[in-house]
Amino acid sequence: MSTNDPIDLRQDRRQWLRTSATMVGASLLPLPAVAAETSQAEAKPAASTAKADEGKSAAHFFTPVQFTLVEELSETIIPADSRSGGAKAAKVADYIDKVLRETIDDNKKSLWREGLRLIEIMSQHYHDKSFVASTAVERIAVLTVLSDNSKLTELPEVRFFNDLKELTVTGYYTSKIGIHDELEYKGNRILKEYVGCDDQGPATS
Amino acid sequence: MPDLEVNLAKTYDAVIIGSGAAGGMAAHVLTTHGLHVLMLEAGKKLPIEQELRSMEWPYDNANRGALPPDSHSLSFNEYTIRKPPYGAGFEKAKHLKSYIGDSDYVKNIVVDERENPFTGTNYAWVRARCLGGKTNIWGRLALRLSDYDFKAKDRDGYGENWPISYSDIQPYYDKVDLYLGITGVKENLPYLPDSIFQRPTKLNCAELTLKQSLQKMGRVATQYRAGVTSDGLKHNKYRSRCYGRGACERKGGCDIHAAFDSPTGLIYPAQDTGNLTLRTNSTVREITVDPNTGKASGVHFTDSQTMKDYHVKAKVVVVAASTLESARLLLLSKSRLYPNGLANSSGHVGHNFCEHVMGPGIAGKVKDLVGKPPTLDDGRPGGFYLTRFRNLAEKHPKFIRGYGFEGSSGSAMFPRGTDVHGFGASFKEEVRKNQGAYIGMGAFGEVLSRYENFVDLDPVVKDKWGIPALRFHYKFGDNEHRMAEDMKETAQEMFEAAGFEIMYVSDRVLTEGWSIHELGTARMGNDPKTSVLNQFEQSHDVKNLFVVDGSAFVNASCQNPTWTIMSLCWRSCDYLADELKKGNL
Repeated sequence: MSTNDPIDLRQDRRQWLRTSATMVGASLLPLPAVAAETSQAEAKPAASTAKADEGKSAAHFFTPVQFTLVEELSETIIPADSRSGGAKAAKVADYIDKVLRETIDDNKKSLWREGLRLIEIMSQHYHDKSFVASTAVERIAVLTVLSDNSKLTELPEVRFFNDLKELTVTGYYTSKIGIHDELEYKGNRILKEYVGCDDQGPATS
Repeated sequence: MPDLEVNLAKTYDAVIIGSGAAGGMAAHVLTTHGLHVLMLEAGKKLPIEQELRSMEWPYDNANRGALPPDSHSLSFNEYTIRKPPYGAGFEKAKHLKSYIGDSDYVKNIVVDERENPFTGTNYAWVRARCLGGKTNIWGRLALRLSDYDFKAKDRDGYGENWPISYSDIQPYYDKVDLYLGITGVKENLPYLPDSIFQRPTKLNCAELTLKQSLQKMGRVATQYRAGVTSDGLKHNKYRSRCYGRGACERKGGCDIHAAFDSPTGLIYPAQDTGNLTLRTNSTVREITVDPNTGKASGVHFTDSQTMKDYHVKAKVVVVAASTLESARLLLLSKSRLYPNGLANSSGHVGHNFCEHVMGPGIAGKVKDLVGKPPTLDDGRPGGFYLTRFRNLAEKHPKFIRGYGFEGSSGSAMFPRGTDVHGFGASFKEEVRKNQGAYIGMGAFGEVLSRYENFVDLDPVVKDKWGIPALRFHYKFGDNEHRMAEDMKETAQEMFEAAGFEIMYVSDRVLTEGWSIHELGTARMGNDPKTSVLNQFEQSHDVKNLFVVDGSAFVNASCQNPTWTIMSLCWRSCDYLADELKKGNL
């Protein structure tokens, strides 16, 4: 895919949805499929894995496979760098899992299941591999398609991306890593005297 | 502060309905005069420090400080699309809250919309039924009004003048300043009189840049005048001085009570006099009248939890239930003598409803501050206040009255500017570099007092306690919309002049009610035909009935009302105590 020109998402998605239909079977279509509960069932890991993970997954929104995908998606939104850890270290995927597990908004749950499915289809379409197996550059390329089209909110993958970004931002900047390591927030402590602008000199009444 | 039992056999000197800024002040003043006072509050007494937890880190909170997921708070879009009573479409939410309720720290302070329905036009009605009411989550900006407001009709011919002048209320503003504490800087502005300030907070560099730039335009930005004690109050053992801890921007109050709230500032000290009996969980449904004298005889209330009904007698009834609830109660108190509701011979109860219009605002970036090491900018009860400048010396061609801006800048616990485009390493770096460089402000403008803007009782819908709900007939008018356009234009002009890079500017008007500054539904005046109360907030019709909250306002001005509500209330309660002693009530 070209990284220079913005991708026409409406044009492109016809292709990658066609690819996906031949690839994983037409049961995934039509879109936007709020048959998301079905795809969720299909996305479940093999029986043995599910059994080993039973106690855990009962209390979780994401399957282990989805959880790993969300970890990598959130890390692509806010990556680790030389200054601080990224979304993965800040356990943003745990935060998102909790939000989705507890929300009373069923549309939000459906959107996430659908969104994760579509991300996988996009990744296969553009790079012939899963998002998790992709390189950092490839991951960025997939999310750039959605970010550059973030106004096309009639498309579920765009709504998903926008919500992914919002939840990642909230989860990250309310975490210890986000507040203390990344932003070096100075407040929320007993303060002897507030220091104003240097030029201002001592405050007078 | 012992909790005294209500004595239903006794005739109290005064019963106060409501425990917010007005009720608390009435309790303070009347108990100081030695009166035996009963205060009735519809909500609970909350363990408020446990609710507010001002220094809790978001990562130590199960929901990162947000409202628990089983509940919902209404958004701007929902207020716009839906119609009251709000509730339909939110059946899955265990609790439905007003927009301000989107926080774990206020979830028990603001009411459940479904228990407290209202009908009519769209309105973001924020109500806090608990001891102290909305003062528990007060925004703290504490401004005086001036004769530019009290005598506004003399200046532009619109509406009515107040029956008082600044000189009448000025001594009471002083008393409130000294009793409750206020921080700020003197500016000697005729249209925004100074208070007796404690040690001020300081402006940060972005704010100072704006202030200096505005001076060249003849406009004023000053340190946020916060109803917060920065030096402490020797006479009050319930409140600490401000320690600049920096969670003041969180929707919620101050758990060390450096910021004023009615319980610690007024009610607990009033209880210490031994003259105040407080009963919470007491929903007043009617003010009763003695058919022989025509005077108020007491109140009829329901225990909010057991639903049992009671009647209590008092020589004087002081209504302080908040502007809209006070109007509702007067309208509910119908009798053969007063078929249109109590104190309503003028037909003005519920009318002339006004407030502040808000929404237009601006956010910008100070280029010099981008990439600078993080600073502590939010260890203050507020940033700055940009005072009114329209319709002072010159008449604006498009609208009357004025507006001011509240603003702040610099780093905050949750960074500003995460709504920028993109993601990844560059997004992260941009948020970090810009976090201390933001400055923003939003306008509060006067909504004209109009008879046609009013509330009445819904003939069908009732609240959880079987009390008829309020029905709104209220819309912003042309003057407000023209003013909102000007707010946007001037915000842009002032940020450009200060050299800020503008990130966002909008003239979008928020839903009616958003400012939480409802006023005017039982206005004061000298003419009993066009007003409900006299200059001492005493009913023209019923001598022993006083309405001491924001409903008494004649216009909204553009300054925040709480300090004026309390100053007026103090003046009225001095008069009340005096008249009661003279046997005139």
